[in-house]
Amino acid sequence: MSDQEKIIEIGDGAAIPDPKDKGLISAWWIALIGTVSLLIILPLVKPDPYARVLSFVPDGILVTFKVTIASISLALVIGLLTGLGRLSKNRFINLIASLYVEVVRGVPLLVQLFYIYFALGRIVRVPDIVAAVIAMSFCYGAYMGEVFRAGIKSIDYGQTEASLSLGFNRRQTMAYVVLPQAWRTILPPVGNEFIALLKDTSLVSILAVADILRRGREYASESFNYFETYTMIALIYLLITLILSKLISNMEHRLSHYERR
Amino acid sequence: MNAADPIIQISHINKYFGSFKALDDVSLDVTLGEKVVVLGPSGSGKSTLLRAINRLETISSGSIIVDGHDLYGPDEDINRIRMELGMVFQSFNLFKHKTVLENLTLAPIKLKKMEKGRAEEMAYALLEKVGIRDRADHYPVQLSGGQQQRVAIARALAMEPKIMLFDEPTSALDPEMIGEVLEVMITLAHEGMTMVVVTHEMGFAREVADQVVFMDDGAIVEQASPDSFFDHPVHARTRLFLDQIL
Repeated sequence: MSDQEKIIEIGDGAAIPDPKDKGLISAWWIALIGTVSLLIILPLVKPDPYARVLSFVPDGILVTFKVTIASISLALVIGLLTGLGRLSKNRFINLIASLYVEVVRGVPLLVQLFYIYFALGRIVRVPDIVAAVIAMSFCYGAYMGEVFRAGIKSIDYGQTEASLSLGFNRRQTMAYVVLPQAWRTILPPVGNEFIALLKDTSLVSILAVADILRRGREYASESFNYFETYTMIALIYLLITLILSKLISNMEHRLSHYERR
Repeated sequence: MNAADPIIQISHINKYFGSFKALDDVSLDVTLGEKVVVLGPSGSGKSTLLRAINRLETISSGSIIVDGHDLYGPDEDINRIRMELGMVFQSFNLFKHKTVLENLTLAPIKLKKMEKGRAEEMAYALLEKVGIRDRADHYPVQLSGGQQQRVAIARALAMEPKIMLFDEPTSALDPEMIGEVLEVMITLAHEGMTMVVVTHEMGFAREVADQVVFMDDGAIVEQASPDSFFDHPVHARTRLFLDQIL
């Protein structure tokens, strides 16, 4: 049993390219070259509407990134706390964390978005984008919690015992010994969640947040070029996720340095 | 605490795993500088006893006093007591994400607030001692089992403990690597370290032990000097064990 074999599969995240897959004929390269070519050729061949769509959506891309980065950062914090809570021997903390995970997993994301958006709106008036980030991170925090829990559990208990025997307390053991190792196991599923979250931010276009999809819809409803607009929207999402998945797999490879002989 | 008092006082401890009695009214004293080797068939409770000494295993009843500190005393800080107790595991348990050097310096830097330069200096000296200085920048996975175990001993020594606990330190090693680890342990013994060693290495027990403890079914069956233990065992169970193993 080696550590490389420990795989946590949670959620329906994007496929991460294999870091060892250096060939030019990998699925990743074909997808990337195809996507980039289409994004260049279509606007050149038919500037109206393809080029016009492209000039219309960039501020949407920015919004999508903002929502994604803010949500994933918050979700990581919530996830770490939830994961630790789910592993806690304190019954009350454990119960709260488990309850949170159960509830979030049982309600569709879109329903959660609506609920938090409108329920929150009745209590405090926050900007739409803030409500969107809160809703997304509330949902993804639960999934992250399961990822953290599995990652922490995958670390051999001998590591904890060695740390305790040196005089570290539980918290120090978690911070210096367990989490730095768990991070490597956690990174691939976190990467998947990150990409899944980026795609799911398209749901916030239903709230009044002007992300990529919403900008596309605005353009399409003005110009009636639905097919062309959504083609470009899909290609933009695809390009972003392809690049991200490559970055994540490279990072994963770098983090595994201490496992290489 | 009186100088003649034992540094480890184990009094009438019992340990249950569910309804299984892992330790049965065990009492044992270890004095400063003494080397105690604990023998016994697998499942006899010897590892549980060792792990109880630094509270990696909690006991159901009885008391353990280490260097004047009650392991279960309400005002005692277990983490402070553990700093005085170095532990070496069967499966080495080196921190996989740290280099050999970092494995040695982590605890002194974080727990003793030792300056990094000094901690590394000390770490190099310890690595020299266990004969593995040239691997300081390697990760544990790049070392052989024998090398990893020697690093693990050095890591425990880096905290300058008063007592060293060894839990079957050579049981996971290939035969050709057992010697190098035992050599380090013998050196340590000759330097006067207080040691409690759970092992199957009879040669080591004979050479190093001041006291041999034989356990079976969670209880101490026989306790004697190595000479009388190996040459004139009193109990039938001890004789049976020695016949099987020698």
